[in-house]
Amino acid sequence: MEKAVMVIGGGVGGIQASLDLANRGFKVYLVERNPSIGGRMAQLDKTFPTMDCSMCILAPKMIECSHHPNVQLLTYSEIKEVKGSVGNFKVKVLKKPRYVDEKKCTGCGICSENCPTEVPNEFDESIGVRKAIYMLFPQAVPRVAVIDKESCVECGLCDKVCPAGAVNREQQPEEVELDVGAIVVATGFDMFDPSAIPQYGYGRFKNVITAMELERLLCASGPTGGHLIRPSEGKIPRHLAFIQCVGSRDRRDWINHPYCSSICCKYAVKDAVLIKEHKTDSRVTIFYIDMRAFGRGFQEFVNRAKSEFGIEFIRSNPGEISEDPKTNNLAISFEDPITRTVQNISFDMVVLCPALVPSKGMPELAKTLGMELDNYGFVKSQDSVRKPLDTTVPGIFCCGYCLGPKTGDIPDSITQGSATAARVFEVLAEEGAS
Amino acid sequence: MHQVANTPRGRGVLACIQCGRCTNSCPVARVVQEHNPRKLMEMIILGLRSDVLSEQLPWYCLSCFTCLDRCPQGGDVGETIFAIRNLAVRQGNIPEGILAQAKNLFENGRVVTPSRMALVQREKYGLGREPVVDVEIVQKILRRTSFDRLINKGS
Amino acid sequence: MKPMKYAFFLGCLIPAREPQYENSVRKIAPELGMELVEMEGANCCAPFSIQSLDYVSWLALAARNLCMAEQMNLNILALCNDCYESLLATNTILKENHEVRDKVNEILADVGLEFKGKTDVKIFSDALYEDVGIKRVKDAVKKPFNGLRVAVQPGCHLTKPKRIHFKQQMGVIALDELVNATGAVSVPYERKDACCGGPLRGINDEVALRVAKQKLDSIRAAGVDCIVTVCPFCFLELDMGQLEIRRHLKEEYDLPVLNFADLLRMAMGMKLENWEIKAHRIPITKILNMAGAK
Repeated sequence: MEKAVMVIGGGVGGIQASLDLANRGFKVYLVERNPSIGGRMAQLDKTFPTMDCSMCILAPKMIECSHHPNVQLLTYSEIKEVKGSVGNFKVKVLKKPRYVDEKKCTGCGICSENCPTEVPNEFDESIGVRKAIYMLFPQAVPRVAVIDKESCVECGLCDKVCPAGAVNREQQPEEVELDVGAIVVATGFDMFDPSAIPQYGYGRFKNVITAMELERLLCASGPTGGHLIRPSEGKIPRHLAFIQCVGSRDRRDWINHPYCSSICCKYAVKDAVLIKEHKTDSRVTIFYIDMRAFGRGFQEFVNRAKSEFGIEFIRSNPGEISEDPKTNNLAISFEDPITRTVQNISFDMVVLCPALVPSKGMPELAKTLGMELDNYGFVKSQDSVRKPLDTTVPGIFCCGYCLGPKTGDIPDSITQGSATAARVFEVLAEEGAS
Repeated sequence: MHQVANTPRGRGVLACIQCGRCTNSCPVARVVQEHNPRKLMEMIILGLRSDVLSEQLPWYCLSCFTCLDRCPQGGDVGETIFAIRNLAVRQGNIPEGILAQAKNLFENGRVVTPSRMALVQREKYGLGREPVVDVEIVQKILRRTSFDRLINKGS
Repeated sequence: MKPMKYAFFLGCLIPAREPQYENSVRKIAPELGMELVEMEGANCCAPFSIQSLDYVSWLALAARNLCMAEQMNLNILALCNDCYESLLATNTILKENHEVRDKVNEILADVGLEFKGKTDVKIFSDALYEDVGIKRVKDAVKKPFNGLRVAVQPGCHLTKPKRIHFKQQMGVIALDELVNATGAVSVPYERKDACCGGPLRGINDEVALRVAKQKLDSIRAAGVDCIVTVCPFCFLELDMGQLEIRRHLKEEYDLPVLNFADLLRMAMGMKLENWEIKAHRIPITKILNMAGAK
């Protein structure tokens, strides 16, 4: 039996599971397909309801992972093949070439500064740009640059300016085979693309954005340095609207997310408060169906949002948004629940809170691992009541949002990360004893 | 509410969560304050039978089905309004315009019969004779479904 | 080669008020290889006004027409959106729900008919797109409109409710492509999927006009030469409606409204007769001048 574990997914859940296992003496291979670990939490500015700085909480954990003698990070890597069974899995991992030598790169960033090519930055949900040679975000772990070969124009500037001579265009993809006793899946979530609901104008109207795009605009490490400006012309928005349940709680066949995504009400209120903190005279309106602020501190947070910050809560779900082509302002027609009359209000910006869906590539990963998914594509538990963190394959476990919207927030992901580590420990101990 | 829910077109009312997306999408609600699909569903749920079936309330709907396509829960507002109308007419609440069409249908097999000008144009410009309807068949069907009694009630 | 023989369902409104629409379709069809077989004795489809009165009466009346088509062993070709909606919805309900089907068949037995579920219902624009094909339509265009800017009015019941018209996107895409095939340009505009107000015509004219006004405002904002409709109700509401809006709501648009079949007919090189031109309340002189401009 191997006293090694593979964790797939370097978000906060995967990081927590890795640290707990590493601290117990397991060798942990943390596989992450992005060039840096961190996941969704790295994209956030502040967390709810305490309004703590997200990176301040996450970064120490990321560093611990990178320095821990028992943790080996395999970033910019993908799972290719899994064979074997609990206690004895053989996993083939493909390490994609960074074209930068990890051992030589110091993470100084001079290469990116000089790179002439700009492309949309996936980390900023494509509202910001990055260079062809880049680091995913300033606090990236590992702090090693990576070249996006598809966008690279091969000008050779980075080769010249790198003080460590770390650029290596000859790098090849490397496949490694690792022996592990158990696997933990912690692949998190994606946001549903709201262009599937054309009435909201996402993709057509410049000032209709998703909540994750808003996070990047509000974040100091984001494309605008934390200044909230309108995508259309860069002016500061004075009146913003949030629309909840874009795709969530929707039973229509062609949408098919009848579940509640469980964290959107919470983060919308957090974002609304953040906006008010950025600009106290701005006006924020949240259009909701129900305010689901369960758990400790959340209803209190909502109450504060109303009383202290003057955020408007309107219980009415808009059906469509229209745009004034001259001003790029957005008009929403809705029934005021108090007066029961239909009003029409103009907003500078509208933030959509989309349904949360399984991470891209889930079906392929599930096939590779041989595990079942539920009918929404989330990981199916062996027994959702008694063994919620076990997948349908013995020896493969799961934590965080990839299990579905049962996970509420960051503390839940961390809790599940630790719980999964405990499950691994338990199961491998059994295997070892037998 | 259950009376409506038990009709073939009224099932949706049991699914309504009062989110308001229907009213916020309705082209009539935008221009007529009295017409409010969400409110109509609310009134059905609350059992306000006489209000729901009275006067103008059931008759503003365009049957454009925008609400139906946008409702996240299968509330089927656009269909439910037909169920309400079916109940309202049985209490004698039928708009004149619809009654006229219904009578035309029973007597001529069509809701609207060709104007004199249209008939002249057909003849003059080679469109062939006016299409003929099997009125007897229509009347037989409509007597069987008691349609004729229904419209006599309304007049 | 797709079968292009159809049971031709005219409906009530077109023969009653817009015989020019029928004329255009009868002239276009043979040029495109479509054979339209008369449904002798067909009755009203039972549109929304009748559906508002009684559920079973609607189904039985609509089903009678479906039975006729079944006996003719043909699919129905409808011209009017409301006829299309009524027949398609009835066809779908009776095909899927055995209980309701049995009930309706009981009534149909009285007139010697039985619904078997063997026919389909198609609207003219979808038939042109799917059966005839864009290429053949393009080839038949002899006098293309040179960039005539058109606001296409698909009408609600071309595509809604989605669960019955599950080929929803095809409906509007088909229409846009067909319009473009005539050399005109289908211009996008804000409220393209909004209702014209037609169904309330004759029942609550005031509300119908207010709704039509919203539609016309949106069309005007897009800067087009004309409106092209599919449904005869949309045609009436937007054409005659403009006169009524001028009188009652004091707003003028001067947007000529043309039926899609007329547009295609002109593009195929056939002229509209005087009586047909006069049938348009908002003069279509602008369009006629552009017809055949190379």
